[in-house]
Amino acid sequence: MDILIIALATLATISRILGLIALSVLTGWGLAYLAVKSRRFENIYVPFVNVLESIPVIAFLPIVLLVFIQGLGGFWGVEIAADFLVFDAVSWNVWIGAYQAFKTVPEHLLEVSENYGFGFGRTMLKLYIPHSIPRVASNLFASFADAFFYITVSEVFIVGVKTYQTFGIGTLIANFVQESNFIGVYYSLGFIAIGVVAVTIVLNMFSRSAIAKYGVDSTHEIKHHGPMSRRFRGLDLFRVRSRYLSRYAARLAHPRHRGGFEGEVGAPTPVRHIIRVAMKSLIFCMGVGVFIYLIYSSILIAFAVPREQWNRYFASTPYLLYSMGADYVRVLVVTLAALGVALTFGYALATHRRASLILAPVVQAISAFPAPAYFPIIFITTFPLFSATLPKGFYTEIYVFILGFLSCFYYVFFDFWIGVQAIPTQFWEVMRNHELSFRTRMRRIIVPGTFPYLITGISSTINSAWAGIEIGEYWPNIDGTHSLEVRDGMMKYIGLNMANGQVGNAAWVSLLFAIVVAIYGIVFTRNLMDLARRKYVVEEGVYAA
Amino acid sequence: MSEEAVFSKDRTELECRDLGYAYSKLKVVFQNINLRTRENEFVAIVGPTGCGKSTLIRNLAYLTPPTTGHVFLNGSEVKRPSSRISLVHQSIATFPWMTALENVKLSLISKKLDPAEADRTAREMLQLVGLNGVEDYYPKEMSGGMRQKIAIARALAASPEILLLDEPFVHLDELTATSMRREIYNLVFNPETSLKSAVLVSHNLNEVIELSDRVYVMNGSPATLVDEINVNIPRPRSPRDPTFFDFVDRLYNELDMNLKQ
Repeated sequence: MDILIIALATLATISRILGLIALSVLTGWGLAYLAVKSRRFENIYVPFVNVLESIPVIAFLPIVLLVFIQGLGGFWGVEIAADFLVFDAVSWNVWIGAYQAFKTVPEHLLEVSENYGFGFGRTMLKLYIPHSIPRVASNLFASFADAFFYITVSEVFIVGVKTYQTFGIGTLIANFVQESNFIGVYYSLGFIAIGVVAVTIVLNMFSRSAIAKYGVDSTHEIKHHGPMSRRFRGLDLFRVRSRYLSRYAARLAHPRHRGGFEGEVGAPTPVRHIIRVAMKSLIFCMGVGVFIYLIYSSILIAFAVPREQWNRYFASTPYLLYSMGADYVRVLVVTLAALGVALTFGYALATHRRASLILAPVVQAISAFPAPAYFPIIFITTFPLFSATLPKGFYTEIYVFILGFLSCFYYVFFDFWIGVQAIPTQFWEVMRNHELSFRTRMRRIIVPGTFPYLITGISSTINSAWAGIEIGEYWPNIDGTHSLEVRDGMMKYIGLNMANGQVGNAAWVSLLFAIVVAIYGIVFTRNLMDLARRKYVVEEGVYAA
Repeated sequence: MSEEAVFSKDRTELECRDLGYAYSKLKVVFQNINLRTRENEFVAIVGPTGCGKSTLIRNLAYLTPPTTGHVFLNGSEVKRPSSRISLVHQSIATFPWMTALENVKLSLISKKLDPAEADRTAREMLQLVGLNGVEDYYPKEMSGGMRQKIAIARALAASPEILLLDEPFVHLDELTATSMRREIYNLVFNPETSLKSAVLVSHNLNEVIELSDRVYVMNGSPATLVDEINVNIPRPRSPRDPTFFDFVDRLYNELDMNLKQ
């Protein structure tokens, strides 16, 4: 075993993850802008992201096979396929976070940007992107953890009978597990821990700096550059010298009017108008094209399936809905537990800076360890006790809960953690001045004040719990002699049918699930985000006319 | 009768001794601050930007604990924030998800009143600041002046003995600010409120002379109290009064002289 190889593989994986997180941030900003500008796009985008976020990474393997492995092939085909799977793990919550931030830009700042006729670029650079920085920062923690959580199925994957792998720590761990080289696994996990802690410390510093600079009068002090670092200032994308409102006031009050006529500040030129109309038309046509293609493909598939098969699908639907309901109960329990941890432990960390410097990386490391690599160890150590004292159905549910919790608790945890830190200092002073108890603070100020963050976190937690539950509901030969298997569960049904080659059954329940998730996306995420915009924009609480 | 003799008869409400605040050993904001307020007295603190006036007022409320020195309320040392010393912020802080009434009722929660009494008290305070009829409006549906009145009503509803005002009118337009200045003196010493004295931090020297009985001048680096001025002009005061102008001029010279030094 070569320690140097493990170190290099860890570095390669961290670089891959950070690069793909950067890509998801950039694309997330663009898509969020489209979503807040077009109600039609928003109605498609939000459920779409919810559905994609709910689909476990391994469900994307057929796409990987078709597009990247067969299409591109060779080293780059495998590398881009792995990148696609990592991107799937990191992107959705960043996209939802950017959408949520764009959706809750304070009304008066939007009015200023409209007043000065800012175009797309200027509105993004001076308003939307700076406003989204704290919320994007909060999602970086979860994305980074999630990428590592699934790294063993992202960097190395089996399609058919062939195994594809790219250089990284996920591949090394998978190989060590296959060779039963547990020393190698422990070393790899150790290096992951070191890497995760190092990146978390940097992310922690970045998030605090982002809140200080872009939050409204947050309790964090803005760190100013000393004279020695002046020459590097040009590289600092996020530098700001004054607080949020004064910064915007200064920049928005003195715009460099480009393309406007004298006396018509910010008025669009004919060229800009034509570009805008062309862009809108292009996006509309692309949307219609994709929609028609999807309908056409669906009709083709529907007609290709024999009538008897359809009858069998419909006959199985009540049981499938029951199984889905059972899984939703599991997801609900996991989400409530995650929310409980966030509202207590997350609040404690957010309000005790020194503790957070030590414990935030610990939480991040726990979140980032790939469960498939270490969960069998938990199972082996606890199974004798559980099996001797608890009924089988009960302890199986405990294992499923643990896997579900580990796969998603950090979303709501880190979102809430950052949301608490972004509460304006004046609000904290009012709470302390009027001697509000913890319960009153939570109920009246902290939870409403972090509402948009909580919606993003809960949404991602619910969507991501499915992946952990999928692993737990059906895990044959987890320790070589025992299998983990629940009695009823949609994820178990999908797993069993996929293992038996009954792809149609799995596809039918996946379709039902997608419909439910899309409805949830509109009813829960979009409507609650609308409510957040109307009522819970904490930045609008501090009025400095 | 000497000035000291007059003060000794009055009861000291809020007092600080040797108060100092520093971000680090090398970054001392102010030091050796000794000030006191007496019953029915309106005290102001003036000083150039950055001398630590807002920090000082937060030290008095113990929202930011001082680095050195002690704060006393009615002779008892203040060791934690209390609604007996209530702060009105410079940046108007109202909770956007609460109506005007709910914002005011927030300060009554720790008093554990029954809901009907809390509701009645909050409505009374809103009426006191001239906001009757808008109890169910949200802050974003109101003007800056109305929002600041909510914040003042919330501070008064807590039945404080001391009201700390950190540039409360700075974000208001001149007409609203003038009207609120007229109301504030009567408001803070209204028999319906529990207030004993008020401390105002302001850059506006006209505002300071119009409202205050006594003015503390802060200056230097680290800042210290460089002067204490008794504003013995009869009320109501008018900026057109030559004596009023003399006091403003004196304050201006005091600050300007110290700045030049």
